[in-house]
Amino acid sequence: MSGLGSWAARRLLLGGAQTVAVVVLVFALTEALPGDAAVALAGDQPDPARIAAIREALDLDRPAYERLADWATGLLHADFGNSLTSGRPVSSYISDAFGPTLLLAGLTVALLVPVGVGLGVLAARYEGRFVDRLVSSVTLGVYAVPEFAFGVLLVTVFALRLDWLPPTAVGYGTDLLGHPAALVLPVLVLLSRPVCSLSRLVRAGMIDALASPYVAQARRYGIPGARVRYAHALPNAMAPAAQQLARTVDWLLCGVIVVEALFVIPGLGTVLMNAVAERDVPVVQGLAVIFGVITVVLNLGADLVAHRFAPRAEVAA
Amino acid sequence: MRGRPKWLPSGRFALGAALVCVPLALALFGPLFAGEPGPRATSFTLGGGHWLGTDFVGRDVWRQVLFGGRPVVVVALTATALAYLVALPVGLISALTRRTWLEEVLMRPLDVLLAVPSLLMILLVASVFSPGAAGLALLVALVNIPDAARIVRAAAADVASRPAVEALRMQGESWWRLAVGHVGRSILRPLAADAGVRLTGVLYLVATAAFLGIGVAPDAADWAVMVDRNRTGLFVQPWAVVVPALLIVTLTMGCNLLFDALLSTGRDVATERYVVRRGVGVRDRVKEPRP
Repeated sequence: MSGLGSWAARRLLLGGAQTVAVVVLVFALTEALPGDAAVALAGDQPDPARIAAIREALDLDRPAYERLADWATGLLHADFGNSLTSGRPVSSYISDAFGPTLLLAGLTVALLVPVGVGLGVLAARYEGRFVDRLVSSVTLGVYAVPEFAFGVLLVTVFALRLDWLPPTAVGYGTDLLGHPAALVLPVLVLLSRPVCSLSRLVRAGMIDALASPYVAQARRYGIPGARVRYAHALPNAMAPAAQQLARTVDWLLCGVIVVEALFVIPGLGTVLMNAVAERDVPVVQGLAVIFGVITVVLNLGADLVAHRFAPRAEVAA
Repeated sequence: MRGRPKWLPSGRFALGAALVCVPLALALFGPLFAGEPGPRATSFTLGGGHWLGTDFVGRDVWRQVLFGGRPVVVVALTATALAYLVALPVGLISALTRRTWLEEVLMRPLDVLLAVPSLLMILLVASVFSPGAAGLALLVALVNIPDAARIVRAAAADVASRPAVEALRMQGESWWRLAVGHVGRSILRPLAADAGVRLTGVLYLVATAAFLGIGVAPDAADWAVMVDRNRTGLFVQPWAVVVPALLIVTLTMGCNLLFDALLSTGRDVATERYVVRRGVGVRDRVKEPRP
């Protein structure tokens, strides 16, 4: 038990270090600017008034560590500073755009687990046969395809040729739930990669588990096949999959940015891309910290869950 | 694992090769056949001597397609090579060193870096610098280093614990011969498996970054940029979007199928583990091949 406790403690420590690293890294990038940061950020319109305004807004005259300390303490109070272009607080950007992104990500994860696990179990059950070969090849192929290319092709077929679904979410604003048809293609595109990785992992784990002595023993006892598969084999196949599920958050984040750009959805990804284009450093920093910390926390949670599922697996901390 | 039918790997191989050959040939040899640029026509028209119509600024789409593959493929290959250039020495040294602190110093920062989502990292840098193609290659390589180094370390640590290496050590073989001659050679196979997976991942990142306008000129001849910029004319002139999008899909899909087929012949459980179990939490421990 003390082994488990110290393992969890070390894993938590790593999570804490990662959170700090994300905050420092995000901050350090503004410091990494060559020469005068204010001039660099002014970009195409280097007029002195704008440069002075940026210098003022970012407090560039104070030493870096003081600003880092200020910014980091602000983060603890959910104070992310103000936008350089509009002067609005960054937190208002985030709260405005949070809804659509959360809806997209939530719907995707809710569909991801049953579809991914189902496909994986199906392929493992018919290992080596046609169903397995079909599922394995399709998931292997689709897994590598960038979302934007896949999404554009789906739009061409379903919106342009067949006219079944709207091509973008333009005109619906943040009220996406009121227009479910506009959500079909974005969620489908978001699902494409994580479903493939999850089902491949579940398939590999299930094949291992189904070949194991305890499954053979359970079969000898005459336990029905479905119960052996779902009650005995599946939990053991889930440990690597649970970790992968958290890792797909990384992909989901990439996917959300691309999908929001592709379908013109006013979520966090769109805010981030606009801020990147306008070099609006405080907005970029705020969003980066949120995305980074969410990733760290979910990975931490997944490792703890995976450890619970399969304590024997060596998990680093 | 139960025996697969013999034709299956070759079937997947054939499918992957068939998918990958068209975009790869276009990327490698397309620019040779492009010819001189014609005069600019009206945007988003079909016909008029343009086989695939014209794009958002009235250029010939087919000509753009011929030029557009090379940047994607070249940047992806460069980034993969650069990532291993750093990951190989770091992984080898940390696997072979007897000094725990050195291993910690080399690997711990990478553990921490792994926490940052890769596209986010690229966007962060792009918000303050304006990277060109070389910058994009560097960035993509950078986000791949932590994972690659962990894979190298795990593979090398497994080999280094074998009796053969102990024997070589006791014979007083030099560190170089041990690291490069023995361990380096023994990890080539798992590394090849990883390189295949990594190249597909890098292709994905490079294309996605270009689609989001990072590391490319706004009117660049690049398949991903073409998809982005010509989207406004999708309803008038779909070819300017569909053709480059299809080329990217076949390139990435074919790559993954091809590498899988190439590497799965004789792939043991160990390499499968590498591909499957990677990420922040799991120490990539190598399992013995099942008896």
